[in-house]
Amino acid sequence: MSLAFLLPAGLAALAALLLPLLLHLARRHEQTPTDFAALRWLRQKPKPRHRIRFDEWPLLLLRLLLLALLALWLARPVLSGLDDDRPWQVVVPGVDAGLARTQATDPRTRLHWLAPGFPSLDAPAPTDTPAIGSLLRQLDAELPPGVALTVVVPSTLQGADAERPTLSRDVAWNIVDGAMPATNAAPPSPLALVVRHAAGDERGLRYLRAAARAWQPANATDAPLQVGTPDAPLPAPTHPLVWQVPGPVPSTVMQWIAAGGTALLDSDATLDGIAMTSVAWCDADGTPLVEAAAYGRGRVMRFTRPLRPDAMPLLVDADFPHQLRALFDPPADAPSRVSAADYAPVGGGASYPVAPRDLQPWLALLIALLALIERWMATRRTRSVAP
Amino acid sequence: MAHDLIPADVRSRLKDLRLTARRAIGAQGIGVHHSRSRGAGLEFAQYRAYEPGDELRQIDWKLYARSDRFFVREAERESPLTVWIVLDATASMAQRDGARGTRFDAARSLAACVAELALRQGDRFGLLVLHGEGVRLVAPGNGARQRDQLLLALHGLRADGAFPVQDRLGPVFERIGAGDLVLVLSDWFDDATSALVERLAAARREVLAIQLLTAEERDFSYTGGHRFRDPETGEELLGDAAALRADYLRRFADAQRMLDARLDAAGIRHARHYTDQPLDLPLRRLFGARDAAEYA
Repeated sequence: MSLAFLLPAGLAALAALLLPLLLHLARRHEQTPTDFAALRWLRQKPKPRHRIRFDEWPLLLLRLLLLALLALWLARPVLSGLDDDRPWQVVVPGVDAGLARTQATDPRTRLHWLAPGFPSLDAPAPTDTPAIGSLLRQLDAELPPGVALTVVVPSTLQGADAERPTLSRDVAWNIVDGAMPATNAAPPSPLALVVRHAAGDERGLRYLRAAARAWQPANATDAPLQVGTPDAPLPAPTHPLVWQVPGPVPSTVMQWIAAGGTALLDSDATLDGIAMTSVAWCDADGTPLVEAAAYGRGRVMRFTRPLRPDAMPLLVDADFPHQLRALFDPPADAPSRVSAADYAPVGGGASYPVAPRDLQPWLALLIALLALIERWMATRRTRSVAP
Repeated sequence: MAHDLIPADVRSRLKDLRLTARRAIGAQGIGVHHSRSRGAGLEFAQYRAYEPGDELRQIDWKLYARSDRFFVREAERESPLTVWIVLDATASMAQRDGARGTRFDAARSLAACVAELALRQGDRFGLLVLHGEGVRLVAPGNGARQRDQLLLALHGLRADGAFPVQDRLGPVFERIGAGDLVLVLSDWFDDATSALVERLAAARREVLAIQLLTAEERDFSYTGGHRFRDPETGEELLGDAAALRADYLRRFADAQRMLDARLDAAGIRHARHYTDQPLDLPLRRLFGARDAAEYA
């Protein structure tokens, strides 16, 4: 157990201890003139002792203590070494709580769910899928080095990430029967492109149409492509919009984007007040082909070149449909279901110092209490006038 | 200061007090004290031959019938006494004692008490005031008129100055007769006072001493820093009362012991009076019940 100060310069406030000392110093210049006829028996002392004297000792001590605590408070004291070394057992949701209790051999074991906030095992089992690896790493970093950690896991885990957790301690990895429910990955929705092009300019349409057809299964017949002129009504914001109209983008389209739509603009379309912030697609040389920016709740993208094979050779590339599709698809979920035995943490990870306990709130409480006592002592009726 | 120097309760307690002298008194007059002189009285002393000038009514006519000569029957006269109140009025007597007034107030009240007692016994009483300008004297006499004169003199007094030099003390020895009772009211801080009463006692004056002290001189109940000033010399001493107390009390007690020894050695009856005590207490100590019984 050791005390440390996060802001030792705060101890400079200890200089304020001089204030009450000065206040309580018996003021020597206040010598009451007194006639005293028996002075000859008084003055045989060689000289009066020059001793520093203070009035009202208890109040002075209290004030000194109060100021010292205030200085301590300013120095932000922390106390380390007060670690609780009782072993931990975390239970991955999906394991029966009663079964998990029987796994604990040490009666001092603290039982918790492996869930954000680590709720106690007495709490109902968390329903959502925890990020097991992340939570294990967090727990490992937060626990003091000596604390034994037991993890009770069902045989099949859901919510694992791509790497086996590398922890600083050796973890008892108890696999019990059971499986976590698999999260149903949403099936990829068929993408229906909505294309608006300037009347009479259908040059790029064929490439878009070809790409849209390439997305379809082989036996499908209709291309998921709605083609219209700029006057045609806009689709629901779930469908991406390809705006092949040069010139300023009308405000209706901007509102549509701001409401959550995704729009891919022609290279000649201009946007007022929106700067493209990222590159969504670039070719093998690294030249940006599509720039993107967020706008409102939606997303706006723009080709940097016209849709012509001479300007953009990738148009005729076999990869073009995939690349185009990738512009609109949300990022795919990484696989997170794993056999528990294959996800056992490995040791040898870096350990972190445990965050020491902050003493400031307790000090503040003590200071407030002392301040109350000081006020009571300083203002009670029986007190003398000075100082 | 109250108009009446003697508080009512003290006055009522004075009734059973008497001024007593140890020696027989030689003065003329009628009083309550043992006397060396012969005259009219209750206790028979002797017969003596008639001398011209004796009152005819003093002649013992039965003896004349037997012896055909005039004899005067004499008895031991109970004589009056002359009481001198010697009042120290130097500046040190002006020591104030909290709300109780000054030491000099107590001394004046005591002087008034003694005058009252002397008046009741028919004794002559006079006042000698020793102050900075010398000696002030109220010649001894008796009667209510003398008492009033003395009270008037007391009222006008102020304690000031230092003890008078030796040259000015002439009246003390000139006026105080042998066998007179001398009651000295002082603080006895000054050595000259002790020397004076020693001389008086050695010259067959019956000297009684009352030392008047304030409660603060006895207890030194000051706190905090003080600039102590001697009213007679003007000397000043800066000091913290708490630090000075123990040594002061020890030295002061030593000084009082030495004074007691000195007075005892001179055969002087003495009493000590603290201003927070009843006024009649020192008188009671001096003229105690044992002596008073003789006079009853």
